[in-house]
Amino acid sequence: MNREGAETYLRLLGEASMRESLAGAPAPWAPDGGWARMTIVGQVLVMAGALDAVTFEEICGDFNLAMSVRQRREPAGQGSGRGALITGPVTAPPGKTFQAVAMARWAMQSQPARPAPRRGAGRLGWTAGSAGRPDAEPPEPSRDDGRADRFVPVGLTVPFQHAGVGGDLHLMSYARTGSGARFLVAWGTRTSSLRRLMSMQRLDLIPFDRFTVTDDRGAQYQLDCVCAGNPEWTGEISVRPAPPEDIRWLDVAAPLSPAVRVDMGPASPAGDEPRVTETEYSPGERLLIVLAERLLTTAPESGQHRPRAERRPRPPHPMAANLGDIVAALEAADVLSPLSPLPARLATLCASLDFDGHGLTVPPAPELPEPWLSMLAHYQRRKPDPAPVREGYAGLAVDLPRLDGIRLALLGLHHTEEGSSLHVMARGLVSQSRPGPFGLDRGFPLSVWLRDSGGRWHATRPADRRWTDGECTARLQLVPPLTRPTDSVEVLVSGQSAEVRTRLPLRWGYPS
Amino acid sequence: MPNDPWFGSLAPCESHVPCGPGRHVVRWEAGELGLPSHADPEAELVLAALGGDKARCVEVAEAWARHTADLTVLGIGPRGPADEIGVSWDDVDAAAQAGAGTVFAPHGPRRLASPPVAAIARVSAARQQSQRELGQLSQRRNDMLSLLALGYGFQVRLIGHVVAAHAGRLDRDGEGPSIRPVLTAALAGRLAPVAEQWLGIDPDQVAVSLHRGEGWGSTEMTGRGEQRRLHISLPAAWLARVWAPGLALAGGHLVVAVRRAGWPGAQVLALRAPGAEPVPLDVHASHDPSGAPDVPHWEV
Repeated sequence: MNREGAETYLRLLGEASMRESLAGAPAPWAPDGGWARMTIVGQVLVMAGALDAVTFEEICGDFNLAMSVRQRREPAGQGSGRGALITGPVTAPPGKTFQAVAMARWAMQSQPARPAPRRGAGRLGWTAGSAGRPDAEPPEPSRDDGRADRFVPVGLTVPFQHAGVGGDLHLMSYARTGSGARFLVAWGTRTSSLRRLMSMQRLDLIPFDRFTVTDDRGAQYQLDCVCAGNPEWTGEISVRPAPPEDIRWLDVAAPLSPAVRVDMGPASPAGDEPRVTETEYSPGERLLIVLAERLLTTAPESGQHRPRAERRPRPPHPMAANLGDIVAALEAADVLSPLSPLPARLATLCASLDFDGHGLTVPPAPELPEPWLSMLAHYQRRKPDPAPVREGYAGLAVDLPRLDGIRLALLGLHHTEEGSSLHVMARGLVSQSRPGPFGLDRGFPLSVWLRDSGGRWHATRPADRRWTDGECTARLQLVPPLTRPTDSVEVLVSGQSAEVRTRLPLRWGYPS
Repeated sequence: MPNDPWFGSLAPCESHVPCGPGRHVVRWEAGELGLPSHADPEAELVLAALGGDKARCVEVAEAWARHTADLTVLGIGPRGPADEIGVSWDDVDAAAQAGAGTVFAPHGPRRLASPPVAAIARVSAARQQSQRELGQLSQRRNDMLSLLALGYGFQVRLIGHVVAAHAGRLDRDGEGPSIRPVLTAALAGRLAPVAEQWLGIDPDQVAVSLHRGEGWGSTEMTGRGEQRRLHISLPAAWLARVWAPGLALAGGHLVVAVRRAGWPGAQVLALRAPGAEPVPLDVHASHDPSGAPDVPHWEV
């Protein structure tokens, strides 16, 4: 890795951006201006571990101040003619300074972690950071390193009726890890006023304190809502204290209702044994793959998924507009080989999505990975989707092998009219950093794809995350959402050192 | 390379600074900043330390001393005479007032029935740390604005000081890797516009690198059309010895080194075209009345 090359590249990019801005190119703060180029390329270099966050902060700060004290010339054909000076110094727009601070803070959180020891299968290359915020405790790997973690698919419904409030609590799965025990749940109500309140995240209206939980030995537990995660009414309910590892069942009962028995016995393995395949991606290639996935998942929002005739001219996507710079920066940092096929694949992807102005100079590649092609085919379809998929949930309980220092467990799949989500838990070398702009997320550096039983691939992007004692539960939004009923899925999780595939049958539950 | 001081081809330079009720002269000459309007600046500093008011001129001199080796100056300072930096003393005053308000804005205490002592201590420590950092940021910004307000002549001389402070440390193990990227960008940002003037080439087609070792460096033109590239490798000291005195172009030549520094006469090594061998030229400086102040015009 060439850190000096990375810093030099970013500083030279700043010089070019300043020159263009002063010559009448887009203002530096414009979406396609120099500031955007600097920050996206800088973030990528920080993500790759080729640039430290403090240096990135300094470069951005200097660029900010340098642009603020200069007089900008109006572009040709505007104002009083080429070269006319705008009176007074051009200052950063309100909030720009705070944007710089926010960028720096994000970069600090994304500071590359010290190298982690290799464990399990695969190499540790682009490891997730563990620095975290300066005022936060760095997350530690789970105490038992995943050996005693227990995941149980449930798929049961607990009806409740109390004080005029009624509904169903759908238990998708049960997870017992170093940070405690919890159910992943979805819920629905039969009370219109409660439905309205719950849509405002008032999950506390469900009388969890009146539920009873008893194990096979007579020990009793409490339920406690720890996360009313999202508008799709899924979340986590903790079981306190955490039941012992070897219980056979738990009875969960709502007030004045019969108990529902959750069998904790060893279940027959669901689906195929996960298959691990080593991969040979460099840190730069891995980043380009993540960027490609972000382009694919943001295509619907940018309108680039519409048929060509319906598309309107629009500024280039900020991330696509800087791909040429990003590739050059990664090569300058020696984390991307000039012979890598990834830039050519990105060029093909941009051409397919009509992202112009990407700056990639390599010819497009003739072939793309199957999941990318599947998503492109979906975007280019002209036929409407068949009848909407019925709202439902499917419990999962699959603990995948460690990948790039992270153990990922699949906990459930959930579909509503607002979208489809895969619920997961990550343990190990995951950092408590927020995703940066454009979805670059050092805290969750894995790619997760899902193929439905019709053969269509769905990318995922983190939507909600919650941290407890170094563990992260996350809701990954499926893009595109499920459009047909599916009775099984293939899940593909990939990192820098390896990828894991597993096929899982689904048993859907449907709210009444 | 000659051993004479890097600033031998730089003329003395003056700027007027609002100080107290009037405007005082601040003067740079032969690598030193002087305050001719203040008889004893050191004594004024002592008085200020004892609680007296500090003169603006003295503040400027202190800021100058703080930043003569500050690499940040290279990223903010001018890239050439056409790169106008519009900072006035009114801007400096406005920024100082805004900064003071930000840092020292009072917040009324909220009384609690039972104050959580540990939490208050933590919040207080964090707030003090935050105020310290804000204070440092504020001072750095005010320093930089003051130094820019001195005008182009002082800006390029400050750049010369900074480059001269670091040019000899490029190959040190601990420092080199962090200094070289800054100096490479500083060189590229100033050399590319010069190359545009010299050859009419697009500045984005100029590839600049730091020359380390013996000799003046190298130039080479490659490719055609959009693939055309002018590769220039020059030592970092070129910025101090050649660019800062405004010597980069003379008589249609690119000046790559100074053989004998002097003002208003000097001898330089210059190239007529990329790839050519440099030739010695005697050059003479004059102030162009129609040009910008503090920007000398050198002729062969």
